[in-house]
Amino acid sequence: MSYYSDIAISVLILMTLALSLNLLLGYAGRVSMAHAVFYGIGAFTAARLTLPTVDELGGVATAGLQTGYSWSWFPALLAAMVVAFLAALLISIPAVRLVRGEYLILLTLAFQLVANQLMGVLDNVTGGPYGLSGIPPITIGGTVFFEPEKFIWIMLIATVFAFAACWALGESPFGRLLKGIREHESAVASVGKNPVFPELLAFSISAAIAGGVGALSAFYYGSVVPSNFNLNLSILIVAVVVLGGVGNLWGTVIGAIVLGSLEPFLRQFVGDSAIPWQAVIYGAALVVMMRLRPAGILPEGVGFGRLLGRGGGKPPKVIPTEEEALGRLRHVESRDSGPDSVPIVEVFDLQKSFGGLKAVNGATFTLERGQVTALIGPNGAGKTTIFNMMCGGLRADSGRVHLRGVEVTGKPAYDLAQRGLARSFQDVRVCQQLTAWDNVAMGVQGQAGEKFLRLVFTPLAVRRNERLVRQKALDCMALLGIADRANVRVSELSYGDQKLVAIARLLATDCDVLLLDEPTSGVDPASVEKVISGIGRLRDLGHTVCLVEHSVHFVQRLADRAVFLDQGTVIAEGTVDELMGRRELAELYFGT
Amino acid sequence: MDLNLFAQLTVSGIVVGSTYALLGVSFGVIYATTRIFHLAHAVAYAGAAYGAVWASEALGLPFGLALLFGLATGVVLGVLIEIVFYRPMRKRNATLLTIFLVSLGISVAFPNLLQIVFGPDNKTLPRPDNPTYELGSVTISRQDVIAVLVAWALIAAVATFIVKTRFGRSVTAMRTNPTMAEAVGIDGNRVYTVVFVIGSFLIAVAGLLFTTRGVATPTMGLQPTLTGFIAAFLGGIGSQWGAALGGLALGLLSSWSALYLQVDYGPVVVFGAMFLVLLIRPQGLLGKAAA
Repeated sequence: MSYYSDIAISVLILMTLALSLNLLLGYAGRVSMAHAVFYGIGAFTAARLTLPTVDELGGVATAGLQTGYSWSWFPALLAAMVVAFLAALLISIPAVRLVRGEYLILLTLAFQLVANQLMGVLDNVTGGPYGLSGIPPITIGGTVFFEPEKFIWIMLIATVFAFAACWALGESPFGRLLKGIREHESAVASVGKNPVFPELLAFSISAAIAGGVGALSAFYYGSVVPSNFNLNLSILIVAVVVLGGVGNLWGTVIGAIVLGSLEPFLRQFVGDSAIPWQAVIYGAALVVMMRLRPAGILPEGVGFGRLLGRGGGKPPKVIPTEEEALGRLRHVESRDSGPDSVPIVEVFDLQKSFGGLKAVNGATFTLERGQVTALIGPNGAGKTTIFNMMCGGLRADSGRVHLRGVEVTGKPAYDLAQRGLARSFQDVRVCQQLTAWDNVAMGVQGQAGEKFLRLVFTPLAVRRNERLVRQKALDCMALLGIADRANVRVSELSYGDQKLVAIARLLATDCDVLLLDEPTSGVDPASVEKVISGIGRLRDLGHTVCLVEHSVHFVQRLADRAVFLDQGTVIAEGTVDELMGRRELAELYFGT
Repeated sequence: MDLNLFAQLTVSGIVVGSTYALLGVSFGVIYATTRIFHLAHAVAYAGAAYGAVWASEALGLPFGLALLFGLATGVVLGVLIEIVFYRPMRKRNATLLTIFLVSLGISVAFPNLLQIVFGPDNKTLPRPDNPTYELGSVTISRQDVIAVLVAWALIAAVATFIVKTRFGRSVTAMRTNPTMAEAVGIDGNRVYTVVFVIGSFLIAVAGLLFTTRGVATPTMGLQPTLTGFIAAFLGGIGSQWGAALGGLALGLLSSWSALYLQVDYGPVVVFGAMFLVLLIRPQGLLGKAAA
């Protein structure tokens, strides 16, 4: 019995480590090759804190005597989690700045090697290459959890707890935000959310759970050895997550059972060669799976619910009518406090060069409250460049952008959205793996559920808030005529519907200035009509809209005013009909 | 400061750094063009060493031929990884992360396969004569001199090839704009193959230089591969001389750190340097800033 319990404990340890990594890899889409280090940091912290003090060991400090602070196991467990959390935060601050995936791989790989090296060198802290031993086992009310048959219950509870925590976080609005960042960081920023902070937090929470597992393993094994926390373990954890299915916690459970029991299973046939054979097998499994089934055994979104035929794709129970939706969305307060005489957006003398090419040369124009303004002009006129500079995506060489009379030039996109100016993207950038509903809900501002601390300490308030958020998202979709598809995954929607989802997401932000980048490009004619009526809705609700668009037909039907650009400067302003009536402009536009 | 010690450390830093430079260029030339985080690069390093050992022990080839056999083994393994594993993934538009995971799988399986086939023990090649020379207070061995000369000759050759030849320019074209390069008739797969030949050749040389002085073990490839990564990122991706100087700087830094720190802290210094550079100049010391 002991033999099997011991194997089960090592499988559960691997499982919990992999579950916590899946929070980072699956939800936030970031690879860490150093997960074993945080496991080790937790183990050493807990070991050092629970070892007996010098006095308890006879009061004489001799060389080689391993002493600690005689803490009891539970506070030591918490401390291990806190230390791992802080260590991860320290590492991830530079890592997150360099968002490109390869840099994070490099940084965490190097961190893994160095931290493992340090564990063997820092004698005073870790006890050197042989580590620490003599760590007391967990004792609760006189029961000592030393034998595998007893400790397995503690480990089982810990695993269930970790699963529940990862699941609750992943399926919360915070997890939704992480998934959004994973797929389109720029889109998350464009609806007013700073994408950096959630990533840091995901990294650190994941490390904290690993640290907790480390503490438990120290209590169980009674010793902590640096070589246990090497790169091989980090790679094994990544393999469990990837083979099981990135972003699917049940997949991780299966992956850990398969890979974790591989070595003891092989041992019966090949003896001590089981360790290299295990590595060959899971290495080969990685290669084969990435070729045949890159999403893993259980791909994201496939759960037991889906397997039993529940959920997925059904329309919501109650679809609000347009009037109901309008009624609830109407009372959005205007952000305007300044005098009405100041135009809501003013662009002064913007300049931008790319190498020797002057893309924008002194563009000056304004957007008027509640109007739809189109930026038109021939290809290469600088429309998109100006647009990108207005939304913070591109730095202007010189010139200023004012919003409600306040200078906002060069502010990051999430800051602009918080001030009431948000944009859409020509290539949509809705999150393909999420439902339309989740995509739109991401646009809603001030969500309690996106704050980690609120999630932990006021779960009921978060739940109430989430109900409002989802209602609002549904209203926005109802207004654009896509509420019946709210539960459909975006990857299964038509391109036209995806554009509508993106507009609904903008609507949900409550921003009063909306910049739309080619909202009808690549959309079939039937959907174009829906986009046009959707943008009409935005105007009805009092939004100020600015759009870049090639289709004259579209611009004529929607725009109150047009700004005609050529070679990076404004050459005319007026109604679309006026401008198109001027022969020289029409020639410029259509070419002769 | 002890000047004699400093001189000796500088010389050994140059020796180590030259190998690091070779590793940096070797990884850089593959990464810059393919953007694959080629962790399985370690296969060519260990493959070359084990190939030479096997040729010498099992086939009884003389030292020089055994080295050539090892070199060929390393290059063939490196190119096979590209053709058999990476190319079909690219064809399916796999993400770079997926390709990295394939690379990770290979780099886990291969050393363990070596261990199963050849056993976990150290392997050695026959030792050539290795007299040492005294320059004042500084000692340097003939093998070290050869290693330095070989490394820089190869780096110069590769850098010249990339800049001066027509094919080299098509490598640069693929690096900067693959779609456009293929549109003007450059065969992308051929460029990738050549890049893997060059990169695998360089790291195979490094593997052999190491084995003629040290020992071959199944896991020997990982550490040099990571050093190559760090050197290339430190110097700047896309620049051969940048990667080479990055490697040299790493070698000198870890050698000089012995003046103040225990030897065990060498990797910590290397990592710290990389951390700082990535923070202050993410594009690397000689790299061009992204647009």
